[in-house]
Amino acid sequence: MNQALQNLKHAAIDWRMVLMASVLVVITVVFNVFSGGIFFSAENLYNIAQQTAVVGILATVMVLIIVARHIDLSVGSVMGFVGVLIAFLMYSADWSWPAACLAGLAAAIVAAMYQGALTAYVGVPSFVVTLGGLMSFRGAAYLVADGKTQPLADPFFLQLGGGFNGGIGTRASWIVGAVICLGIAWAMWAKRGAKKRYGVPTNPWLVDGLMVLIPMVGVLSFVAIMNAYQIPGKDDAQGIPIPVLIWGAVALFMSFLVHRTRFGRYVFAMGGNPDAAELVGIPVKRVTMLLFLLLAVLTTIGAIVSIARLNAGTNSLGNNLELLVIAATVIGGTALAGGSGTILGSVLGALIMQCIDSGMLLLDVSIGTRYIIIGQVLIAAVVFDVAYRKWTGDVL
Amino acid sequence: MNSVNQNASAAQRGATLNRNQCLVEMRDINKAFGGVQAVENVNINLYPGEVVAVLGHNGAGKSTLMKMLAGAYPIDSGEVIINGEKASIRTPSDAQAAGIESIYQTLALADNLNSVANLFLGRELLTRWRTLDDHRMDAEASKVFQRLNKNFKNYHTPVRRLSGGQRQVVAISRAIYFNAQILIMDEPTAALGPEETAMVARLIEQLKEEGVGIFLISHDMHDVFALSDRLAVMKNGKLVGTYSTKDVTEDEVLGMIILGKKPEGKPETERPAR
Repeated sequence: MNQALQNLKHAAIDWRMVLMASVLVVITVVFNVFSGGIFFSAENLYNIAQQTAVVGILATVMVLIIVARHIDLSVGSVMGFVGVLIAFLMYSADWSWPAACLAGLAAAIVAAMYQGALTAYVGVPSFVVTLGGLMSFRGAAYLVADGKTQPLADPFFLQLGGGFNGGIGTRASWIVGAVICLGIAWAMWAKRGAKKRYGVPTNPWLVDGLMVLIPMVGVLSFVAIMNAYQIPGKDDAQGIPIPVLIWGAVALFMSFLVHRTRFGRYVFAMGGNPDAAELVGIPVKRVTMLLFLLLAVLTTIGAIVSIARLNAGTNSLGNNLELLVIAATVIGGTALAGGSGTILGSVLGALIMQCIDSGMLLLDVSIGTRYIIIGQVLIAAVVFDVAYRKWTGDVL
Repeated sequence: MNSVNQNASAAQRGATLNRNQCLVEMRDINKAFGGVQAVENVNINLYPGEVVAVLGHNGAGKSTLMKMLAGAYPIDSGEVIINGEKASIRTPSDAQAAGIESIYQTLALADNLNSVANLFLGRELLTRWRTLDDHRMDAEASKVFQRLNKNFKNYHTPVRRLSGGQRQVVAISRAIYFNAQILIMDEPTAALGPEETAMVARLIEQLKEEGVGIFLISHDMHDVFALSDRLAVMKNGKLVGTYSTKDVTEDEVLGMIILGKKPEGKPETERPAR
C-alpha cells in the first residue's frame, strides 16, 4: 500500500491539479443540489464563465509576477485608469475603438515602465511601488474623465465583453471545441514520440489516454453547455463567450511562455534562487522589466473586456480587483514565497472563487457572509498548499 | 571516466596549450564595501594545469576576490589579465565568455528547477524557432551527468530533492559542459560524503591534465595539501604570501592564516614548480 502510494506520488501526474479540479466539481455539484438545479443551468454557467474572464486573464500573469517574488497591488487601479481612458477617448473624444485601445495600451505601458523601472533598476520593493500605484492610478482614473461615467455604444466593441451579442454562435463554438481537442491529442502524441526518441520512459497508455480524454470531455461539454444557452428572441444560441475565448488564448500563450521560452525559465529561476539567477548571468533586471510590460498588455486586455461588458468606463472600474486576482492565483497553488506556480492552477483558482461567489449569490447568502466565506477559502487553500508541500517534500 | 571534456576542441586545447603562459593574472586588486576594505592590493596568478588554493579566515577576502574574477562583484581598481590580454569583467556573462566558471559554496542552483534546467541556466539550447530545446538539453545533460556519476538518474526532479553529492554533480557539470578554462571552486567538498569527495578529487586531477587552471577555496587542510600546487593565504583583505604547497607545512600555513606570519626561510613563488 505504502509502495503504491509512493508510485502514485511520483507518477507524472500533477496531483495538485487533479485535486483542484475535483474540488471545483464537488463545489459546483453541491451548489447545484442546494439551488435546485439552477446552478448547472446553461444561463448560470454562461454567466459564471464570462464573469470569471477578467480575473482569470489577470491571474495568469499574476502567477509569473508572484513566482518571480514580486507582487502587483496596482493591477485593479491601472485597469480602471486604462479602461476609463479608452472609454473617454471613444465617447468624449470620438476616437475609433482600435485607436482608443492602442492609446490605452500605450498608457498601460508607460505606467508599467515607471513601476517596473522603480522595481527592477532602483530596487524599490514591488509591494511598495504598486501600493503607491494602487492609490495613484485610482486617482488618475478619476481625473481622466473628471469622475464622469463614459458610456459606450460601438456594437462591435461591446461584443468583446460577452453580453447580448458576445457569443461566437453554435457552429463556431463546435469548430473551436474540435480544434482544441485535436490540439490536445496532437500534443500528447508529440510528447510520447519525443520521449521515445530520447529513451525517456513514457507513462502507461491508460494514464496518457485519460489525460487526453478528460480534458477533451471537459472542453466538449463546455461547448455543449454554452451552445445550450439561447437568449429569448435570438435565432442562434450564444456559444462560447468572447471574453472566455480571450482568456483561453491568453492562458495558452502564458503556458507557452512558461514552458517553452527562456523568459519563462528565467522567471522561475529568479523565484527559486535570486542569487543563483544573478550569478549564472541571467539579466534579472531586464526580465523583471519585461514581466511588468507583459502585465501592462494583459491589463489593457482586461480593461477592454471589462468596459465592453459594463457598456461604460467608470472611475470605480477594477476596484478591489487586485485582491481577487491575487486570491485566485494563491488558491490556484502559486506560492507567495516565489518559485512555484502554474497557469492552469490560476485558471482553476479563478473558477473556484467565482463558482463559490455565484453559488452563494444563487442561494441568497448575504454579502457579508459571502466575504467571510471567500476569505476563509483563501486561507484553506494556503493551508492545503503547506500540507501538500510537506507531503511531497517540496518545503520552500 | 575517460575524458572529462565534451568536445575534441577542449582536448586539443589541452595538448597545444602553452603551459608557461600565465592563464590569469590579477594585479593590485582593491574592493571596498562601504568603509570596509575587503580586498587590498592583492596580486595573484594562475597557470594552466595547476591548482592554486586560496586560504584565509572567514572574512579574509578570499571569496570576494574570487567573486570579482567571476564577475559577481565589480572590481574597484586593479587589472585582470587573461592569457596575456587585459580583460574587462563586469558581469557573470563577461566571465563566462572569458572561459571562467565558478562552483560556489552555496551551490548556485535554482532549487525549484530540475538538473537539466540548472545545467543550462542562462545558456539554454534553443530550437530554430528560439524556443527551449528540452529534448536536446536532456540528451546533452545526461551525457555529462553520466560521466560524473553513473548512479545519477533522477535529473527530472527539482534539485532541492537531490542529495548534496548529486547537487554538486549538477554544479560541476555546468563548468565541464561549457569547457571552463579557469575554474573557481569555493569549498567544493564541504557538503559531501567521502565517496563524493574522492570523485571531486579525481575530477580535479583530470581537469589539470587538460590544462584547466583551478582556484580552490577551502578550509579543509587535507584537501589543500592533497590537491593544490600552490597556496595563497589572505588575512584582513591582504595577501600574506603565495608558496609552493610542498615547501610549507600545515603548521606554517595555519600560522599564516591565523597570525598573518610568513614562514621563515621559505621562498615565495609566482610560478608553479615544473
